[in-house]
Amino acid sequence: MGVLLELHNFQYSYGNIKVVKGIDLYVNEGEMVTLIGANGAGKTTTMQTISGLTEARGVEGEIIFDGKRIDKMKGNRIARMGLSQVLEGRHVFSKLTVEENLMNGAYTRKDKKGIQEDLKKIYQRFPRLLERKHQLGGTLSGGEQQMLAIGQALIANPKMILLDEPSLGLAPIIVDEIFEAIKEINREGTTVLFVEQNSHIALTTAHRGYVMQTGQIVLEDSCEALMNNEEVRRAYLGEDQEG
Amino acid sequence: MFWQLLISGLVIGSVYGLIALGYSLIYKASGLMTFAQGDLLTLGAFLGVTLYSGLNLPFAVSLVLAVLLAFFLGMGVEKFIIRRLLDKKVMAIYIVLATIAVSYIIQNGTMLGFGTKTLYFPAIFPFKTIKIGSISVQTESVVCIIVAVLCMLVLHFFMSKTKLGTAMRAASMDRLAAEARGIDVSLTTGITWGLAAGLAALGGMLIGPVFGVYTTLGSTIGKKGSAAAVTGGYGNMYGAMVGGLLLGIVETMVAGLWTSELKDMISYIILLVFLFLKPTGLFNERAIQD
Repeated sequence: MGVLLELHNFQYSYGNIKVVKGIDLYVNEGEMVTLIGANGAGKTTTMQTISGLTEARGVEGEIIFDGKRIDKMKGNRIARMGLSQVLEGRHVFSKLTVEENLMNGAYTRKDKKGIQEDLKKIYQRFPRLLERKHQLGGTLSGGEQQMLAIGQALIANPKMILLDEPSLGLAPIIVDEIFEAIKEINREGTTVLFVEQNSHIALTTAHRGYVMQTGQIVLEDSCEALMNNEEVRRAYLGEDQEG
Repeated sequence: MFWQLLISGLVIGSVYGLIALGYSLIYKASGLMTFAQGDLLTLGAFLGVTLYSGLNLPFAVSLVLAVLLAFFLGMGVEKFIIRRLLDKKVMAIYIVLATIAVSYIIQNGTMLGFGTKTLYFPAIFPFKTIKIGSISVQTESVVCIIVAVLCMLVLHFFMSKTKLGTAMRAASMDRLAAEARGIDVSLTTGITWGLAAGLAALGGMLIGPVFGVYTTLGSTIGKKGSAAAVTGGYGNMYGAMVGGLLLGIVETMVAGLWTSELKDMISYIILLVFLFLKPTGLFNERAIQD
């Protein structure tokens, strides 16, 4: 089990404003890692830069995926390497049908048979997508859109999947369903890195966690240890707020 | 008389439709408007007539070559002008202005390259007219309508049923998400501009044999094509074709049955009426910003 994704002294600036100030992070093959932290900590910038979706001129430091430098690579090439991201805010294609959305996720694949098998698996995992396969993406509920977004990332058959705020704006019962699915995806061998504002669910789901604050990693440990860390309990798990 | 006018209306209308289709594709893919469509039509017609009567290539081959050349020119305009300006983060209006520059450069370029004389396609088909019922119609007119409609169907199939077409639609809805799914969005956007240019050149190849080929052939057609795109619902492919046919038929009828002095005005009057009464056009559901 080697390291699949590595960030070395990764920094990102929008113009003169440095929003990520040199972080180190790694994810082992098969691992599930979470990145937590308050709004504006630089989590989404980090995630989108890993996937090559921010402007390359803002990047400093190294990002290595599967043994290759990807920090100046274009997003579509990174996706082709097997790194698939579920973007923050459920970017489904609103005027494509559910099935078209999914098939579009398989854009980089050539093996028709494999795609059909994976499509079937995704419908088994999220039966509601099967029921709505001819509906337009934009007409789905928030939870269904998140399932569809995850399905789109999965059908690419990626080595690693990145999820940015999968619980954002979803009802608690749907959040549980989504995180069950994420755990299962990881158990079946896909490496996972996710950003999450709901620190409780993040730390009870992942193996290891990083805590990000104003552009820096301030803590990293196993999720168990982070759960017991005073600082984390106070700042991120909302305990003793009155005291 | 009525049937003759209807056929003429369909001929020019189908060309407006092809041009409008290009506007819609570009708007969908880039959120931009181009002014070069009309001049690309002119260029396509000149290329076609040169290949056909200058180099003696078969008409179909000339048509395909002219469309291909325009396709690559359109892609080049996107890659070397539009994309560079977008990367500089200039305001959209400047990019639209840049397309005006491109438009005049192409127009002047055709004048330099092909001269100012009107060129005519030699007879393309062995029979000059086709009889439909009691009326006889110029063969080129029939071909124009048929090819335009066929092209529309092929494009519809391409955009809705193929992997690349679906990816292009996806990229036009959400660039970031499309790139994240492994779609090369710069490429799909380039292809879209190429298709728009190719459609314009096709329009030129179809109308050239009917009208003759001259440097300002495309300027009026290009503007009316944009009126057609609005009438149909800006950004909607089917709307573009229907809008084109509608304008073509109405202006031909008005000119033929009433007075030809109104011919060039009527499309713009329709455009204004649509902007006020139905800004969404016939098919677009979201023209008004909310």
